[in-house]
Amino acid sequence: MAALMHCRRCLYTSAHPLGLMLDAEGICSGCRVHEEKDRLDWAERWQRLESLLAPYRSRSGETYDCIVPVSGAGDSHYIVHLVKQRLGLNPLLVTYNKYFNTSLGIRNLANLRIRFDCDLIQQNVNPHAVKKITRATLRDFGSDYWHCLAGQTVFPVQTAVRYRIPLILWGAHQGLEQVGMYSHEDEVEMTRRHRQDHDLMGREADDLPTMFDTLKESDIWQYRYPDDAALSAIGVRGVYLGNYVRWDPKAQHEQMIERCGYRTAAFARTFDTYDHVDCWNYMDLHDVLKLHKHGYSKVTDHACREIRHGRLTRAQGLALVRRHEQAAPQHLDKFCEWLGLDRSGLGFLLDRHRNPRWWREAETGRWAFAGASTTAGEAAGVTMPPASAVFEANDVLAHDGIDGYITIGKGHP
Amino acid sequence: MLEKRLIGVITVKDGWAVQSIGYRRHRPLGRPEVIAENLDRWGVDEILLQCIDRDAQGGGPDLALLERLCRRGLSTPLVYAGGVRSVSDGVRAVQAGAERIGIDALLHDDPHLAAELAEPLGAQALIAVLPLSVHNGALAWLDHRSRLSTPLAPALLDVLASGAISEVLLVDWQHEGVHEGFDERLLALWPMPTQPLIAFGGLSEPSQLRGVLERPNVVAAAVGNFLNHREHAVQRLKQSLAGLPLRAATHAPLDPARAWS
Repeated sequence: MAALMHCRRCLYTSAHPLGLMLDAEGICSGCRVHEEKDRLDWAERWQRLESLLAPYRSRSGETYDCIVPVSGAGDSHYIVHLVKQRLGLNPLLVTYNKYFNTSLGIRNLANLRIRFDCDLIQQNVNPHAVKKITRATLRDFGSDYWHCLAGQTVFPVQTAVRYRIPLILWGAHQGLEQVGMYSHEDEVEMTRRHRQDHDLMGREADDLPTMFDTLKESDIWQYRYPDDAALSAIGVRGVYLGNYVRWDPKAQHEQMIERCGYRTAAFARTFDTYDHVDCWNYMDLHDVLKLHKHGYSKVTDHACREIRHGRLTRAQGLALVRRHEQAAPQHLDKFCEWLGLDRSGLGFLLDRHRNPRWWREAETGRWAFAGASTTAGEAAGVTMPPASAVFEANDVLAHDGIDGYITIGKGHP
Repeated sequence: MLEKRLIGVITVKDGWAVQSIGYRRHRPLGRPEVIAENLDRWGVDEILLQCIDRDAQGGGPDLALLERLCRRGLSTPLVYAGGVRSVSDGVRAVQAGAERIGIDALLHDDPHLAAELAEPLGAQALIAVLPLSVHNGALAWLDHRSRLSTPLAPALLDVLASGAISEVLLVDWQHEGVHEGFDERLLALWPMPTQPLIAFGGLSEPSQLRGVLERPNVVAAAVGNFLNHREHAVQRLKQSLAGLPLRAATHAPLDPARAWS
């Protein structure tokens, strides 16, 4: 096994699951690509975007110009703001129902649809299939989230083919932002290969059913990517706005909070109150599994992003990571109730996916952690970050008092 | 007329497929086997898998990776390069699933030993990988381990003239990963006019690829990084190269305006 190497600037290591390259100066590929944000001429890049999108504008105004995948969190408000208000396009919003919805997420999604005056369609895969898939992926490769990732990356593409709308507009490219997979100037677009390789952890829908399981083709077919011939016939193309706009999620969220009514909530396992407020699991069970498998959790992603944007020092970021990453999950009972598991069964599954590279069972049931943050350097005695680095919550996940999954929700602003 | 080939290059470092820029900077792309499967489905004519850290590590060819690729049941011919130090290394790489072998460092260390690989494998299975640049109007040959360039060695040219190696992969290493970066002077300055050549490094645009492939001694063009930026990149590139003797693409886009942009 290759030795673990830390980036000298951020908190990522050479063990990042998307891959990470360190250069001769010990700076990672993600930090190097981030430098482009302060080098590129973003006004010129916006012009490039407008030229690229020009052929897709509907002349009649009676059809949609593009598809925009959205949720009740993430960068959705900002993306729709760019598409509708700055580019003047008429988007069809599409969303995949992940079932782990918070009422705050349902509220934000309704706000998005109403505030920006957009049509929205939602994919609800039948819950029996979703639960069967979740049992299989949790057991086989420690993912409670495969169906969410598969659904939210395939439903927009299926809709593009079905409605014959070739253009899909996404926000930032995760691989570019986190590990510098591409330069902004590569102008990378959506591909089936990237989805399979990274979003789906190498496992397509058809890889899930096995002879040892009850999962059948009838459970997974809705997660199949359209074939090459169908994509070619429509000319489906997925463009990332992050290649043309200087992407800064904190600043963008704060703009959307102030101008468009986006609402936020605090989490135990990170300091970022803006991301993932639509889901009970992402910053909870899913984040614990990430720590078990990869030796770091979402708070490291958030800290790296803030370090690169210059709002945290590396030591401040590391202190925040150490403060949050071992925080106990708070919503496991909701997941157990939804899936029909008991807590000991879930605990068994969680332990099964502890990677021995990061975890050692010191004694029965007590695990010693040796993940990336334990060897990342000193963070003792650092001063608190400045006010510009603070994330504030203006709501709670149980927005209207419902402390559980909203499996189907229309919402209200 | 023999058809010319479009080769998809997968560059591997630390086990990851990477984008490589100028033999110096690298960006992670993903799992080599997933990228190979994708190139296979898209209808590329040959896949070059080059493991760029194997020569320096001295660990021999990455046989485990080759075996993983072969388990995917790909139908595209596979060239393997990286870490081939001896005849037995080359034979083991072929036994693990490569159709052909690319040799680079061995040509610096012992070009005659490289030629001996033709005994068990046949000349058709050997490709000389030569990272070149133009220096003072002449070709300079890079040893990527020391990062030093020297003139083409007479011993190398003797081995190539003997016919022990079927094709030369001529790499513009300085412009690798640079859009439209390929320096055609490398082809013009190549001293053996009948030697079949493969051009690689900074080939990104159809017009440039067409110019290279129209040269009589260029039998193939290889593209790496740029095939990872768009859906159906191979099909679109091939559609833009219509009229050249290339194998047809699979599921070519219907709208010619979108062939390559």
